[in-house]
Amino acid sequence: MSTSEAIRADAARLLAEGRAKLVIGYRARGPHRAPAFVSDPAGVDVLIYDNLCKQNLAVYLRKPEVRSRGPVAVVAPPAVMRSLVVLAAESQLTEATVLAVGPDAYHGVLDLAGAAALLKEKYADLAPSPELLEALAKLDAMSPQERARFWTDQFAKCTRCYACRAACPLCYCARCIVEKNVPQWISTAAAQHGNFAWQIIRAFHQAGRCTLCGACEAACPQGIPLMLLNLALSEEVAKQFGEKPGYDPAAKPVIGSWKPDDDQGFVR
Amino acid sequence: MKILDADKLPDLAAVLAAAGYRVVAPVRDGAQVRMAEWKPGLAIDAGPIPANSVKEFLFPRCEVIARYSLDGDSFAPQPAPVDAPKTAVLAVRPCDAAAMVALDKVFNWEYRDDAWNARREATTLVALVCAAADDECFCTSVGGAPDARLGADAVLRCADGASKFILEALGEKGQALLAAAAGVLADGDARPDPPASVPVRFDSKAVTDWCGENFESPLWRDLGLACLGCGSCAYACPVCHCFDIQDEGTRSEAVRLRNWDTCGLALFTQHSGGHNPRPDQAARWRQRVMHKFRYFVERFGGLACTGCGRCARLCPARLAISQVCREIDEARKAAAK
Amino acid sequence: MTIAIYQSAMMNIVLARDEAPDVRTLRLQFADEADRVRFFQKYRVGMFGLYGVPGAGESAFCVASPPTRTGYVECTFRRTGRVTAAIRDREVGQAVTFRGPYGNSFPIESWKGRAIVFIAGGIGLPPIRSVIWNVLDRPGDFGPVTIVYGARTVADLVYKDELADWGARPDVKLVTAVDPGGETPDWKGQVGFVPFVLDHAAPPGAGAVALVCGPPIMIKFTLPVLLKLGFAPKDVYTTLENRMKCGVGQCGRCNVGSTYVCRDGPVFTLDQLRHMPAADM
Ligand code: SF4
Ligand code: SF4
Ligand code: FES
Repeated sequence: MSTSEAIRADAARLLAEGRAKLVIGYRARGPHRAPAFVSDPAGVDVLIYDNLCKQNLAVYLRKPEVRSRGPVAVVAPPAVMRSLVVLAAESQLTEATVLAVGPDAYHGVLDLAGAAALLKEKYADLAPSPELLEALAKLDAMSPQERARFWTDQFAKCTRCYACRAACPLCYCARCIVEKNVPQWISTAAAQHGNFAWQIIRAFHQAGRCTLCGACEAACPQGIPLMLLNLALSEEVAKQFGEKPGYDPAAKPVIGSWKPDDDQGFVR
Repeated sequence: MKILDADKLPDLAAVLAAAGYRVVAPVRDGAQVRMAEWKPGLAIDAGPIPANSVKEFLFPRCEVIARYSLDGDSFAPQPAPVDAPKTAVLAVRPCDAAAMVALDKVFNWEYRDDAWNARREATTLVALVCAAADDECFCTSVGGAPDARLGADAVLRCADGASKFILEALGEKGQALLAAAAGVLADGDARPDPPASVPVRFDSKAVTDWCGENFESPLWRDLGLACLGCGSCAYACPVCHCFDIQDEGTRSEAVRLRNWDTCGLALFTQHSGGHNPRPDQAARWRQRVMHKFRYFVERFGGLACTGCGRCARLCPARLAISQVCREIDEARKAAAK
Repeated sequence: MTIAIYQSAMMNIVLARDEAPDVRTLRLQFADEADRVRFFQKYRVGMFGLYGVPGAGESAFCVASPPTRTGYVECTFRRTGRVTAAIRDREVGQAVTFRGPYGNSFPIESWKGRAIVFIAGGIGLPPIRSVIWNVLDRPGDFGPVTIVYGARTVADLVYKDELADWGARPDVKLVTAVDPGGETPDWKGQVGFVPFVLDHAAPPGAGAVALVCGPPIMIKFTLPVLLKLGFAPKDVYTTLENRMKCGVGQCGRCNVGSTYVCRDGPVFTLDQLRHMPAADM
């Protein structure tokens, strides 16, 4: 049985047994892949899985429109499972039903603990793509002035549409700081000053939480290489704190925890 | 007939820049081709459909609309001059050029927006007849065509098997641009290449009619599920024009800004008292489709979509307004039987 | 060149009055005579303006004073967010920005000689207060006037002095009410919700005009009472509120269906409302 067929069979079963009221997976739209929302066992035929299925579907689990449908099951490649584990670690969800798929195999229906165990066992060393590593190395090799120039040019393109935020499963603040106006922390104008503030806040707020799924960069209509920022920060977090988010649902997020032996060299 | 070799677009840009135009052209930027201000040395890539539309050069994503000096509790108005540089846009797509005509109606609907009109006046749109289209293009379903001329001041057309361009002026602004570019244009003959063929994907009239009767429909709920509520589609769209007005300032100065905004965002219609007339993504999608295919037709007698397909190309969830329209059209046909 | 439609008039605050908790009235005088003349050439009752404080922003609310009083503009607003807080914090002698008037108006010329019933709840009185004064300032032009006004508590009633004025006038029948539990020991008005009080007062509806303004829930229950009293849907008026930014039909956020509240409204008849999608309000 192909992975797609196995997913359809499991989805139909989950829906028929009432274990899920909605299965979120992937379907084809022309040559593209789009999210599929299936609530009827008879409708599972649209579900497919192949290596074009890139969108991080974990983002839908925080949508009220989705939550209100009752228990949800989601087709989850490792990136999606990692997002779910972070959401659990941050108390955003307590349980999940996933139809776990890997690049190599279909792993069937798992709960959160099962997904975390699978991640640790089979997908512990997911590495960023060589292109991304190379691009970051190039950036690291620049002088600070060159690097500032690079980011100035990139951030200048930002229209502040916030698609990056909308696509990220971990951007779930009820009211984002860019939308707070009493006081207004960040300029609303899509211009240098506010764009820098927005980009830096977005990136730093993900530090130690970001699982490098790539959803933000894929969503950015302006082609801003957000993954360079995410990767740089995540490498820094790994170096400083030895943490790799998205594997342990009981982990304390770096950004929200403190240890007596944390390096305090920055306090002067 | 005015002729330009296919690889000479940068020369055209250079001579126009020398004549005092700000030149905007499709330029490669990483994985994208974007409409951007051309600078000497930049290559121009008129092949792919640019990721962004031309609207940001006429309706910038943020703009100061009023300015005040502040002094303690008192303030005084200061000039907030409109920036309307003389601009030539090279190789703008027919769908973008047509969109500017739709925006003319909005920005002159009873109240006239001086900034829009000044920039429109100062801008010469040189449209490029599309030689290729992709599977998201649907201009022909919304009254356009790959070689449509609506909104264009001049037209560039590939010729002699993509080895040349024919440049033709359509009005005074176009003639002035051709005169300024005379130095790089040759007189001659060339055979225009055929325009791209874009299949008609739906009947827009049927969509307009359906929208009139289906304010409540399960379709909206389904669309609302997949939509992430990001602003990509609207910011990329050449016709979307909704904006926000926000004040910002320091101790000594305040500016009133006009920023792009979109009906897809949750806070767009949120009352300060808490009520939100469009409480979910379903209501917001309905507004998007209704505005483009029904309300705009009612108010301005035309569609607010020119079929460029950008929204679908950029949507993180790969939602496509053309597909929605096709489903509506098909549902209507099925119901009629 | 600037964008003319966004240049505001400078207005000096000449009077500030607290009406109710968080509700304040300001009387504003045009700093520039030319702005005043331009305003009153256009202003009709029902229109609104955008009031602002540079650095904080602009907020849309009605003009609460009638066009018969051409020296000033009055507004009454509730503090709900950043902008209204900034306007509220301005004091007599200081300035605010104003642009307008925008929107449509109550067609009062077509009401000549007819009975008019005003029904308002809470902060819904300001939008029709301008009409009340406009009508009262033109004695003989209109038929008998009835005002039914209710608020949650006595403290929430706005324009308390004017209520006393209207109550004392022979040409006005005034009924004031507070919600059950909102009365004070010396409260002389009625106790009950507006629709109920209106039903009780029972102004004859045939040939008369009604203006209703207040919280959506009040309007919802008042409309059936009006129909029962014999008012025709085309003679029942209300004003809609939506989030507004531009005020001139361009920013795209105030529409209900294809109707732009800032341009086609804010005044609508019950007849018109029935043709607008309720799910978009
Ligand atoms: S998606 Fe891109 S353009 Fe939009 S806010 Fe994020 S970085 Fe800016
Ligand atoms: S709605 Fe989509 S296809 Fe239509 S003009 Fe806008 S971006 Fe282009
Ligand atoms: S307030 Fe901007 S369109 Fe109505």
